[in-house]
Amino acid sequence: MTTAIEFARITKVYQRVFSEERTEALGDVTFEVSPGEVCGFLGPNGAGKTTTIGILMGFLFADSGQARVLDYAPGDIRAKEQIGFLPENFSFYRFLTGPKLLALHLTLSGRRVPDPFGFIERLLAQVKLAGYESLRIARYSRGMVQRLGIAQALIGDPQLLVFDEPTSGLDPAGRKEVLDLVHSLKQQGKTVFLSSHILTEVEQICDRVVIIDRGRVIRSGRLEEILRAGGRVEVVVDRLPDQAVAAATHCGAEIDRGPHGIRLRVDAGHKRELIETLWAAGCDVVRVNPIKDTLEDVFLNLVGGGTS
Amino acid sequence: MKIRALAWMTFCSLLRNRLIILFFVVFACVVLFMMTPLMTFKSMAADNPSQAQGMIISLISWIMGILSGFGSLLAAWSAADAVAAEMKSGTVLAVMARPVRRWEFLLGKYFGVLMLMTIYVLFMFAMSNILAWIASERIVTNPWVLLVYPMVRYGIYAAMAICVVTVLHQVFAFAIVLFLGVLASLVSPSSTGLAFLPDWLRHCFYFVLPSMNLLSESNFLAVTSASLKKTPWTEHFTALAYGLDYALICFLFAAWAFRRRSLTRE
Repeated sequence: MTTAIEFARITKVYQRVFSEERTEALGDVTFEVSPGEVCGFLGPNGAGKTTTIGILMGFLFADSGQARVLDYAPGDIRAKEQIGFLPENFSFYRFLTGPKLLALHLTLSGRRVPDPFGFIERLLAQVKLAGYESLRIARYSRGMVQRLGIAQALIGDPQLLVFDEPTSGLDPAGRKEVLDLVHSLKQQGKTVFLSSHILTEVEQICDRVVIIDRGRVIRSGRLEEILRAGGRVEVVVDRLPDQAVAAATHCGAEIDRGPHGIRLRVDAGHKRELIETLWAAGCDVVRVNPIKDTLEDVFLNLVGGGTS
Repeated sequence: MKIRALAWMTFCSLLRNRLIILFFVVFACVVLFMMTPLMTFKSMAADNPSQAQGMIISLISWIMGILSGFGSLLAAWSAADAVAAEMKSGTVLAVMARPVRRWEFLLGKYFGVLMLMTIYVLFMFAMSNILAWIASERIVTNPWVLLVYPMVRYGIYAAMAICVVTVLHQVFAFAIVLFLGVLASLVSPSSTGLAFLPDWLRHCFYFVLPSMNLLSESNFLAVTSASLKKTPWTEHFTALAYGLDYALICFLFAAWAFRRRSLTRE
């Protein structure tokens, strides 16, 4: 298996019945995710993320192009045996308890475990739902439902995990647990494809990013390539006398006085000149850092400030 | 195992469905409401026993006819709702993300509905005997006729509803199945309804639509004396095979239509 997910020139058009109205949800979408990678799938609302995940899971059918998931066509039962899926706003049979829902999903996954009850108990403990075994899901909080959704996604020991907004509804501690879980899945060699609105989280855990807008992939690649240094540096000093301010401004530096020091941002070409000027003015240079774009900067630049 | 798990889950969901609970409440109300005329006829038995017996048997037959009709509505509605509710709530996404084939999902839903209808048929069977017992009568029949024929009939209604709901909204699916059921009974040779239709069209409808008359248990019961007619087993076999075949074809149509259906939260 060379790729875990492969989308080649996928197009999907929604057309209303008895109407000429056509909406192109995806146009020529092409990207790949290698086995063992954590891939973040980003885009503003209405960009086509849900449609892409729908095609990936075999819920929707592409009008043209070719998609492969774990070397099978999307929706193929052999591929689904190796996929764990957490839908956005995970929905469930509300009259069930957590263990009963997981028992149902264990049966549906076709996985045989020697001690199903013990296995489900351990899984519930892993997502911090131990102690709520007798509580009906209808009485669960939003965060508990999300944790249960994650547990059901993990139940079949999948090779590929597709998470649609995995941290939605979770508190900061819960979010951290999910990020730790994704890290541990990555260490186990699993492939994770996750869509999230929280770009700082994606930046922390993803190896690869695919950014989609209006049904088209506008950027995809490894995260370090996307966040490559932008050719600017940040010089942190302990103090900045008045005569140094004029010299720094002359070098084209932007000055930011914050509680943790004074930061001067300048093009890399003027770095040496600025530092020498500061030293000459008697300033103590504390740090010099290359300025990298954050994923949020890249995202906002690409989608023109749209809401992620 | 997967189909059994889906069927059991469908059955449990249906038992918690408010509309279906209402159905069962109406069932109980109809039965209780009919107690008054039943007891009145029973009190007449001292004066004119043969006339009272005839009236009692007719009343029981009429009540069972109504409950049988209710059963058809229940089968159609619960089958349509079993599929549509999963789409509406989005639970279908979590279920279909599992290695479950689409026809397995539909078959699980179908068997879940049949489990509900089994309970209903058992209730109907018990009720017919209880009513006869209250009226000091006895239904002399082989129980399987009263159990199997309604089940096959409801199996057809459920399969038709599942077939239609794969492409249409559940209310439309229910209405279409109801319409087809009524039309089927109106175009049967014994019916005088829709006389304005040309014969060729009536025959056409009769052969295309499910013949519920053929699958009526009263077809095999001499209702006046509530005893079993002497019917060769081949006749039972033909009637039941027809019903099961009709349900199977409807189900296969459903599986075919559902094969390419987009699964989204509606």
